[in-house]
Amino acid sequence: MTLKLLNTTVFRLSLVYVLLFSLVAAVAMGFIYWVAKDHIAQQTDTRLRLESQVLAEHYRTGSMGSLQETVRLRNRDSARGDKRFFVYALTDQIMSESLKKGEDYFQEGRLTFATLTYAQVLRLVSIPAYASQSDKARTLVTDLQGGWQLLVAADLSEQRALLEKMRGSIWAAIGVIAASAILGGVLMGYYVLRRIDGVSKTATSIIKGDLSQRMTVTNRNDEFDRLSEVLNSMLQRTEQLMQAMREVTDNLAHDLRNPLNRLRNRLDLNRFHKPDVQVLQQTQQDALQDVDDLIKTFNALLSIAQAESGVHRDDWEMVNISALVSDLGELYEAVAEEQDLHLSYHAEQGLQIYGNRQLLAQALTNLLDNAVKYTPTGGQLGLEARQLGQKVEISVYDNGPGIPSEQHERVFERFVRLDNARSSVGNGLGLSLVKAFTDLHGATIHLEDNQPGLRVVLRFDTGNTPRPAVRVGNGHS
Amino acid sequence: MLFRMNILLVEDDSATASFIQKGLSESGYIVDHAVDGEDGLHLALTGSYDALIIDRMLPRRDGLSIVQTLRSRQIDTPVLILSALGEVDNRVEGLRAGGDDYLVKPYAFSELLARLQALLRRSQPTPDQSVLRLRDLEMDLLKRQVKRAGQPINLQPREFTLLEYLLRHAGQVVTRTMLLEKVWDYHFDPQTNVIDVHISRLRSKLDKDFEVPLLHTIRGAGYLLYDPEAA
Repeated sequence: MTLKLLNTTVFRLSLVYVLLFSLVAAVAMGFIYWVAKDHIAQQTDTRLRLESQVLAEHYRTGSMGSLQETVRLRNRDSARGDKRFFVYALTDQIMSESLKKGEDYFQEGRLTFATLTYAQVLRLVSIPAYASQSDKARTLVTDLQGGWQLLVAADLSEQRALLEKMRGSIWAAIGVIAASAILGGVLMGYYVLRRIDGVSKTATSIIKGDLSQRMTVTNRNDEFDRLSEVLNSMLQRTEQLMQAMREVTDNLAHDLRNPLNRLRNRLDLNRFHKPDVQVLQQTQQDALQDVDDLIKTFNALLSIAQAESGVHRDDWEMVNISALVSDLGELYEAVAEEQDLHLSYHAEQGLQIYGNRQLLAQALTNLLDNAVKYTPTGGQLGLEARQLGQKVEISVYDNGPGIPSEQHERVFERFVRLDNARSSVGNGLGLSLVKAFTDLHGATIHLEDNQPGLRVVLRFDTGNTPRPAVRVGNGHS
Repeated sequence: MLFRMNILLVEDDSATASFIQKGLSESGYIVDHAVDGEDGLHLALTGSYDALIIDRMLPRRDGLSIVQTLRSRQIDTPVLILSALGEVDNRVEGLRAGGDDYLVKPYAFSELLARLQALLRRSQPTPDQSVLRLRDLEMDLLKRQVKRAGQPINLQPREFTLLEYLLRHAGQVVTRTMLLEKVWDYHFDPQTNVIDVHISRLRSKLDKDFEVPLLHTIRGAGYLLYDPEAA
């Protein structure tokens, strides 16, 4: 988990921001620190200057003795704990030269400034020491007339403590900024990770084969929810396709096993007999018939599967239904007559729907085939197409035995053959194919009682504008 | 047949290839065989063939690309494409690439042979006839009239188209699937054999009152319009 957290984009991004913000804060506070330090130094110098001026004034107006007395008194006050921490000394030695090794040395007329350690100060003058030798003091040496020099030193430990405190605060502030940014990054990273982990977990179980899993959608309606919703509808579609595919394979296994077995037995049985040309020829003929039936079933299943998965919509066009109905009517009129049936067909002029002519024709041929197959001799068949509001209605009907209404839904299932049809040829896929093709065209299919007989009604939307082609891969091996 | 025709078969499955090769040789064709797309293209470009039979899925170069290459070099040898891909738009794709006909696996050999013969006939220059004749049968394409031994025969428009197709392929076996495709433009097999019914109707109009039948059924293959008494 820790490693995963460190590997999130959000966390890495927040690390970059931590660095950036800390840098900006450090620069800003460093600048403040530098200004404050400079200001404090100037203030110290000003105080030293004032103090020296006062003392120098004493020297000018009064005698040397009064100055010495003042210095002594001031030193006594400081030693008593006066918080001004000023050191005063009067000497006839040349001190200003020695100040040059101090920090921040500069000279201004008769005034010489420098920052020295107490040790250095004590080497110059003899004064009571109240601080440790390494502490620093700002020192001002003033050249007085008559070769005297006045040394005034200010203790810097208080300022240094202040600046130190300030430095500490700056580091603390930077630390707090960095820490809270890292914490924020961790929290955000953890949140994102948790949402993504949810998605990955679902995806993993889907990969393992549980296609019913769906991404969790919260009520936050954020980008993760939107992503999950899109993924869910994709999964829905995938599951449907997989389901259809599975059904096809199941049905293939179910329906192809029997004829394959029959074929095998037929060929196998032949080995036990003495080769007789007539028997061999008959076996060969039967075997060919078996294989042809197998191929027909196989093709029907493939067509259904392809129609159900919605592929191959790029060769759709406006189909003239009026022409198609007359064509098919003419084609099947002869077939019906052959069976002593009468087929009447009629289509209103100018009927058009957007679709695939081959699939529509195949669907109608299947219905006509059924009508011819199940209507007893002398029966009446019909094929009609008409405009019905916004829809085009095509119906195929007969006056045969019909299908009981409780069976109406069942007949669209694959391989379902009603009892009265079991004896006749067919693979039980005809109506499934019709249903798959009409579904593909967004049409509805209803079975109705023709009183007597069966009426199959297909209703197509004419408002169907060309839909964008849906192509799922190549659809082939 | 006065001379033997050369056919190039490009098919990678050796069992299928030898089956087709054997069948075509028995029918009087000389067959060369290439096992992959590159060899096939090379042979098609260098050899002289009357027709090509090309599988769609081939190693090294696919069938459609062979056809496209040939067509781009102005080689119009008729091509029959064999394919395991069955849907309508695959057929359209194949024909668009320059194939002349398209046959979906699995197919009967008789179907392959019939289609090949139709292609070979098409590639031979036929005079632009307005009247088609076979023995005493006469079809006037302009007046849309059919006569046998001078007697007019009344045909429905679709029967006329059917007979026209049969006459144009007289002497060749045409299969039910071919008729359904070329005459009715349906690319699927109906469960009932609608074609048989229409052929028998046409036959009753054509042959019933005459001694010599012209429209013959070839068992397990299809139909053949020919004059059995011609040399």
